[in-house]
Amino acid sequence: MRELRELAVRLLETSDVQVVIGWEESRRGVRPAFAQTPAEAERLVFDQRCVHNLAAYLHPRRKHIRGLGRPAVVVKGCDARAVAGLIRDNQLRREDVVLIGVRCPGVWAENKAEGQPGNRRWAERCVSCPQRTPTLCDYLIGEDSPEPSGGPGLEAQVERIQALPMAERWAFWSSAFERCVRCYACREICPLCFCERCLADKSMPQWIESSPHRRGNLAWHLARALHLAGRCVGCGECERACPAGIPLSILNARLQQSVRERFEFVVSDDPVAPSPIGEFRVDDGQEFIR
Amino acid sequence: MARIGVFVCHCGENIGRTVDASSVAEALRSHPGVVHAEDYRYMCSDPGQTLVREAIAANRLTGVVVAACSPHMHERTFRKVVAAAGLNPFLCEMANIREQCSWIHEDREQATGKAIAITRALVEKVKANTPLETIRIPIERRALVIGGGIAGIQAALDLADGGAEVVLVEKESSIGGHMSQLSETFPTLDCSQCILTPRMVEVAQHPRIRLYAYSEVEEVSGYIGNFEVKVRRKARSVNETLCNGCGACTQACPNRKVPNEFECGLGKRPAISVPFPQAVPNMPVLDRERCARFMAIRKGITKAVCGKCAEACTRGAIDFAQEDRFVTEKVGAIIIATGYQLYSIGKEQPEGEGLSGYGEYGYGQVPDVIDGLQFERLASASGPTGGRIVRPSDGRVPKRVVFLQCVGSRDPSRGIPYCSKICCMYVAKHVMLYRHKVHDGEAVVFYMDVRAAGKGYDEFTRRAIEEEGAIYRRGRVARLWRDGDVVKVQGFDTLSGEPLLLDADLVVLATAVRPQPGIRALAQKLSVSCDQHGFINEAHPKLRPVETNTAGIFVAGACQAPRDIPESVAMGSAAAAKVLGLFSKAELEREPTVARVDAAHCAGCFLCERVCPYGAVGRREVRDRAGRLVKVVAEVNPGVCQGCGTCQATCPGKHVEVQGFTDQQIYAEIAAL
Repeated sequence: MRELRELAVRLLETSDVQVVIGWEESRRGVRPAFAQTPAEAERLVFDQRCVHNLAAYLHPRRKHIRGLGRPAVVVKGCDARAVAGLIRDNQLRREDVVLIGVRCPGVWAENKAEGQPGNRRWAERCVSCPQRTPTLCDYLIGEDSPEPSGGPGLEAQVERIQALPMAERWAFWSSAFERCVRCYACREICPLCFCERCLADKSMPQWIESSPHRRGNLAWHLARALHLAGRCVGCGECERACPAGIPLSILNARLQQSVRERFEFVVSDDPVAPSPIGEFRVDDGQEFIR
Repeated sequence: MARIGVFVCHCGENIGRTVDASSVAEALRSHPGVVHAEDYRYMCSDPGQTLVREAIAANRLTGVVVAACSPHMHERTFRKVVAAAGLNPFLCEMANIREQCSWIHEDREQATGKAIAITRALVEKVKANTPLETIRIPIERRALVIGGGIAGIQAALDLADGGAEVVLVEKESSIGGHMSQLSETFPTLDCSQCILTPRMVEVAQHPRIRLYAYSEVEEVSGYIGNFEVKVRRKARSVNETLCNGCGACTQACPNRKVPNEFECGLGKRPAISVPFPQAVPNMPVLDRERCARFMAIRKGITKAVCGKCAEACTRGAIDFAQEDRFVTEKVGAIIIATGYQLYSIGKEQPEGEGLSGYGEYGYGQVPDVIDGLQFERLASASGPTGGRIVRPSDGRVPKRVVFLQCVGSRDPSRGIPYCSKICCMYVAKHVMLYRHKVHDGEAVVFYMDVRAAGKGYDEFTRRAIEEEGAIYRRGRVARLWRDGDVVKVQGFDTLSGEPLLLDADLVVLATAVRPQPGIRALAQKLSVSCDQHGFINEAHPKLRPVETNTAGIFVAGACQAPRDIPESVAMGSAAAAKVLGLFSKAELEREPTVARVDAAHCAGCFLCERVCPYGAVGRREVRDRAGRLVKVVAEVNPGVCQGCGTCQATCPGKHVEVQGFTDQQIYAEIAAL
């Protein structure tokens, strides 16, 4: 904690960083914080409750945050992958952001304060995290910690759903999507959903029916998932933000498995490697064309 | 309010047999927005076109759907008709009720129902169509010809004579290609060099041809009418402006033991040499691999070694320090004429080509087993033996020569299923050349079939058999091996059903014709496609034989498929005619069905830029009135865009669309089904 605060103060005082984006204590757990002065930087914290993906504040649609000036952002492994995604997709220039990497111990499922319910349970994604310590960063702070274990990991969840017969799998997702109220919180919180105007908001033609009923809901969730193929960093923010409790992380994880198998591509925090969705290859598999 | 006209074609029996065209017209008459619907036997005929034109005027139509054949067939025809009637041509659509309906269905009732559905879908699309304007692009009236064989020479000369500037790039030190290696040519037995070398000289002297010999195409960018080509001029170690081709250097070179590629390894050459006396340009190349000076440098010897050639040169043209140079040329069209190589059928084959070689023929090990080109050099008056046909092993005149046809060709299990086409003819020619020179010699030909389709071709092979006494045995040879002085030929005559074991003095293999080794890399630079064997794909096997699928790039000669001289020449002229046709216009007209970016909503992720197979997507800065940068968005170059729609499929927000195939239009079409 000391290390983080000292670094944040130093960046604000001695470099051209105007805001450090991290976390601070609040009444109901930790919350994202925007420290613009050394005094504010003294309030920054980092621990297992820091679930949010702060890379979401970096994309160009967040004009109010860009207006604060050149940011430094605290990034966990998954957050760094999101930053890499933004750089890869030309939404951010590497030189426009300072990245404070933290050796992530894994985070809890919720950001609640000590003693509150929901605490002390590892987030599913952290149990099988591919990379907790970012390589895409300017500073790296924190201590190494043991790998989070216990509780079902995300991959186990994917396997469980995949093992179901097709009809049951359909029933599982149908009932999940039926709950969707189309608030688009999943989209708003996703660090990689950066379109100026979303496909779901188009009316000429209206690809996706806007009222929350089964058909439009299915179209929305499939489109959202497909747009994240080879891009989703597995930060789980969409699922956390969902008021209807739709297990979006399972869908995302399954899709990344598919991308891994078909295109031998794993989402990493390397901002140069093009993702399969943004690459034209003559030798791409075409066995689906008959 | 839409006023759509629907015109249903019977296409004679083609559509009429399975689709009731009048019912289709009848059904469409009550479709919302349709004000006119009729059917006719041949809508593409003159009376049919008149119907369309008159209906447009009479009904003040705002859109036209022609329910007939594939848009590939007649879209242009009807768009012209519509334009003549004063309507924007892109307000006309084809409903394909032939290829996609009548030809593939049998049940008349169901097929008619499907035809109605297809036509309704297109009516909905036309309602969503917008007028589009033809794109005009300036043309650079210069052409690049890649390859200086007979096809390339013909193309270059025709182009230059037609008034176009030509850049001819040849990778060898002289133009002429394989034809310059041939002795005499079928079916007239005229001397190859005698008819070729005057053409080569014409190339060199033509004021509108710029020849880059010993050069290769390094990079190609741009698009039809506006290509930019970077040419690598490989270092000859000879100053082109100083050299006068006297040949003193080649006389002076002490290393005279280099296998001569032009003689197919049958002769030797010095390390600095001209491939043959009539070479164009007549200028030597120093082979740095075999030159004593460069060999010494590679070994780390710092003292300047040899230098005999430089001493002999009276003009000081030898330039040991010369390096590869690059020149950039702007051209409007490109003709690929890179020709062929013969399949080297030895056991060892390069990886990844799917070829297993023919170890059983001992090619490369038995000296008296040679290929067709080597025989050409033996028979050629300018060849290493001065035209005496002798055995490479001992220089003796062979008394029995066995010719094997279809070596490597027509053998799918070994990787080449196609017929190499020229072998039947050149083997018949070889037989004649041999019999003319060795009167008591016996020529035996093993063949699968004799394919002699062509003017004077069958007469030629008949002559070889009937007048020149060649013995044609139908069957394949299983094995060749050296036995003392002779080559044993073990084969089978499938007509008599008897196994054969012959003693041959010389065996000539008519090996398969394959494209040049670098063809795939070149095709990639040019964004054209190859077939599985590496031959360049033409745009249409019958109707567009010298065009490729990339606009402005044409193909001629044996790089497209095995071709003989008359065909290569014809293709060269055909490609030149296509290019001249292109150059005859003041501006290039292009269909406006190209992608366009919705800059207002483009998020600038540039996925479209990365996926575009044609490199048509660039970037553009959007600034506000004060000149401040707002954002950088994607922009499509309409000259390069081929309208493939890959960007449209990729854009996550759907903010790039191919004009004429917008989401709204396709959506309307699908929704109508």
